[in-house]
Amino acid sequence: MVDDRYSPEISDAIVSFDPETLQRAPVVKSDVLRQFSDYRNRTAVRVVERIPERDGVLDPAAVDRLLVTSHCEMQRMSEEFQHGRRVGELLRPVIKALHEGGVANPIRIVDIGCGTGFIVRWLAANAYFDDDVEVIGVDFNKALIDEARRLASLEKLNCTFLVANAFRLDHPAAIYLSTGILHHFRGQGLGELLRRHDRKETHAFVHFDFHSSPMAPFGSWLFHAGRMHEPLTKDDGILSAVGAHKSRYLLQAERTAAPDFVSAIYGTRLWRLPIPRVFHSLVGIRPAYHPAFVRNMGNRIASLGKIE
Amino acid sequence: MTILLLWLLATVDSTFIGYRDAAGRNALIDKRAYFRRAMLRGAVAGQIAVAIVGLAAVGMLATTPQPVRLFAAFEHAATRMLIVYVPYALILTITFFIRAIPSVDIRSITSVLVFGPFTLIRPVVVLAGAIWGLLAAPTPRVGLLLGLIVSLMLGMEYVLDRLRARGFLV
Repeated sequence: MVDDRYSPEISDAIVSFDPETLQRAPVVKSDVLRQFSDYRNRTAVRVVERIPERDGVLDPAAVDRLLVTSHCEMQRMSEEFQHGRRVGELLRPVIKALHEGGVANPIRIVDIGCGTGFIVRWLAANAYFDDDVEVIGVDFNKALIDEARRLASLEKLNCTFLVANAFRLDHPAAIYLSTGILHHFRGQGLGELLRRHDRKETHAFVHFDFHSSPMAPFGSWLFHAGRMHEPLTKDDGILSAVGAHKSRYLLQAERTAAPDFVSAIYGTRLWRLPIPRVFHSLVGIRPAYHPAFVRNMGNRIASLGKIE
Repeated sequence: MTILLLWLLATVDSTFIGYRDAAGRNALIDKRAYFRRAMLRGAVAGQIAVAIVGLAAVGMLATTPQPVRLFAAFEHAATRMLIVYVPYALILTITFFIRAIPSVDIRSITSVLVFGPFTLIRPVVVLAGAIWGLLAAPTPRVGLLLGLIVSLMLGMEYVLDRLRARGFLV
């Protein structure tokens, strides 16, 4: 996951989980500070300096509080960019294609790295899908999942959130979904992530991430500087745009890692104009369902812009 | 009329300060009640700010040997301030109407092109309006009153943020 050209995001560096056992690993504060100092990321250094430590290790409770707060702030971006509706509008043709292809109900969608579960809760709150679709939020971080459950309970939303590895669930996903995850994986790590989709139960995946464009870092700065309260959220938001993968790179990585899917990038431009969108999405679907998916998308493909 | 328009702009501005202060601090999906409370709080804070400015203006008028001339200077400065503030407010108002169109793309564009940049340049607009007003009536008392207005407009968000940090706001 490490690429020396890009500073890690603070939220990645201050927490560590073993992907096999999901056990939390201690994070040595001085190591994180040195890492950000090497990248000359002063904001990150200041944020990490303020996190309490115990015997040189970042206090997990303080880190969790910070992550919950920053996820709450990051939700604002999803809300302003109508991300719930955006996800729903792209998932519907996928689900319909799977239904038409005879995939058994319920169609299980797993939101990888769901954080505090905005997408899962938004889809539930807006009753976006019928009962034949099951959306589950999954994350390594128990504090974020606890917060997702708390929020869902406050609004009496029927949602499922699990502390788990999304690719090791007892009942695997028919569709994998994520938002803002792909740019955290680089090089071989990205290939490994995409390779994990290639299992017989999985019929499609939809991954939203920041769209890399020359304007993206400035646009992201503009958005975060004016709106975000937490320095962590501001810094990570800008780094996300800087480190976003280019559409063609993502597509190539996917085709190498999971060649049994028909894949394309959607959301590359706005209204057939050469204007980049904030988010693009990597969509992969089994060949058997692809014609139905394209048919169900209809005119939206042209307005989204597609690279295939 | 000028004073009424400035009061209206101050109320709308402070209402949105309440919104901005509350935004990003509540992760529920349905936040309508939460934002209503936050905007009301901002509007009330705005009335307090207007009252402070009003009292300061009355105090200055009461202590000057030439109250009519000072009042005219205030009014002249206020009219010039509106030249800067009204277009800013109009663009935002029109954008709100555009945002009402139920399109993911249109709503996103309003965020990218208007709400983001306009939130960021707000301090500059506040200062520009005050300076433009002061240039119309460059006297110490007008300068003092405009300085107070700018401090209140730019400081309100900070005060709300501090109150929230101390647990006074939910």
